[in-house]
Amino acid sequence: MIQDLSPARELRDTCAIVGTATSRLGKVPGVSSLDLIVEAISNALDDAGLKPGDVDGVLCRGPDESYSHHQLVAERLGINASFSTTLTNGGASQIMSVALAVMAIRFGLARTIVCGFGRDTWSRTHSSEEARVRNETRPESMLAREFGPEYGYFGATAAHALGATRHMHLYGTTRDQFGEIAVAFRQHALRNPDASMKKPLTIDDYHNGRLIVAPFGIYDCSLRSDAAGAVIVTSAERAKDLKQPPVLIKGFGFHNNTRGWFADDNMVVTAAKQAGAAAYAMAGLGPQDVDTAQIYDCFTYMVLTQLEDYGFCKKGEGGAFVGSGALRLEGQLPCNTSGGQLSEAHCEGMLQIVEGVRQLRHTYPDHRQVKDAEIALVSGHGGNQVCHSTLILGRA
Amino acid sequence: MMSDTNRKPKPRPAPESLPYWQTAREHRLALPKCEACQQFWFPPSRTCPHCLSTRFSFETVSGKGKIYSFVTFHRVYRPAFEHDVPYVVALVELDEGPRLLTNILGVAYDQVTCDMRVEVVFDDFDSEISIPKFRPA
Repeated sequence: MIQDLSPARELRDTCAIVGTATSRLGKVPGVSSLDLIVEAISNALDDAGLKPGDVDGVLCRGPDESYSHHQLVAERLGINASFSTTLTNGGASQIMSVALAVMAIRFGLARTIVCGFGRDTWSRTHSSEEARVRNETRPESMLAREFGPEYGYFGATAAHALGATRHMHLYGTTRDQFGEIAVAFRQHALRNPDASMKKPLTIDDYHNGRLIVAPFGIYDCSLRSDAAGAVIVTSAERAKDLKQPPVLIKGFGFHNNTRGWFADDNMVVTAAKQAGAAAYAMAGLGPQDVDTAQIYDCFTYMVLTQLEDYGFCKKGEGGAFVGSGALRLEGQLPCNTSGGQLSEAHCEGMLQIVEGVRQLRHTYPDHRQVKDAEIALVSGHGGNQVCHSTLILGRA
Repeated sequence: MMSDTNRKPKPRPAPESLPYWQTAREHRLALPKCEACQQFWFPPSRTCPHCLSTRFSFETVSGKGKIYSFVTFHRVYRPAFEHDVPYVVALVELDEGPRLLTNILGVAYDQVTCDMRVEVVFDDFDSEISIPKFRPA
């Protein structure tokens, strides 16, 4: 655990996100992971009014099986980078890349850094009958060989569902409460023309959805998407002269429960607890200051438990909190306001960062805008369920 | 190498877990136990995760424990499990401490609960492998 946060506090507000964009989202046949991330970065540069020659850093996560992915990205952008690398921390990598950019810029290792992630996940799992049956984003060599497959235990859905069952047992959490998360995010997606999901979802639809790995049904599970997102980070000083209203990076924090998802009570109390505490301390803020939360929603339950771990309600009260309608646009804590990974597109947390930035720019039409949003909290989760990162953004 | 999706996956033991599978074939559940700190751990590895000692041996455990959590597979992820759905995969906490993924047998899938007491049984896969599973105790 971090004891002394003063060095991190010195980084507060030193850097800003000055450009952000996504690639095409959803079903984008015929493009590779690399094509998608380059498309998103290119769009983000346009958004910022910058050219590749203005960029001297690339921090990205590859699609796992790719070697030195950042190098391929920089080559496509036609740049030599002062500071670049590929991160491998699962869905917690994307926020970590933003934090690493802040540190590099603050200490003069680079001036302007692009951070991004993209993967052709829909294409990988739906491009053929064989791909549909296999339904895997990773190569065979990366999958478990024992202590899982022989029991018919496959996939991330089951891993997260184990946490949901335990939470329901300890706290009386219900599928109705998970369902409210799916329904709220779907409502947000219907206001987002880029979102994959276009049909309304009711709580009855949720309960009628087929079971996948109980307690999770189809609507508890995030989408399989071809998707990429990118943000451009530079110093707060340089940000003042750029095209967009800068969004300040106020805090970040990390924690990995690397003893494992099955160890201790890690599937009920996630690493969001320590990552969030570090990010709040760096930002000098607390949960009461957060106007909108963009939470890593690989599954409905993961939203509920993270909201508890971030202190928006007490442990065990997440069900009642979401059940009150808190996550809706007009609620107490508008959450995943673009539809999230459940209803917009799944880009392993990258689109959560994009949406946090967009909400703080106040450029959305009223029906999508979180009113008077000043502070956004963004979460990233992954790496066999135990790696966590938190980002706190604020209006300049 | 792609495995044949029409057959249930046969465990492919890592070198450090071979003793686990060899004792399971004899219908004994044995886990690595540290000679320095006397604690068990799972999955098998060559260093005690509690104290980093490399002195350990596989010792037979009680085979009794309780269900920490469980899920019920309704989706068929591999054709070989088509006739098994809905089936339960549970995380069982042994009385000795370690937690193991397993199947729960001998009880209807909708009667399984967290904290249910269970005991090990062995499912013979073929002449080389027996798979530890659990049933209500």
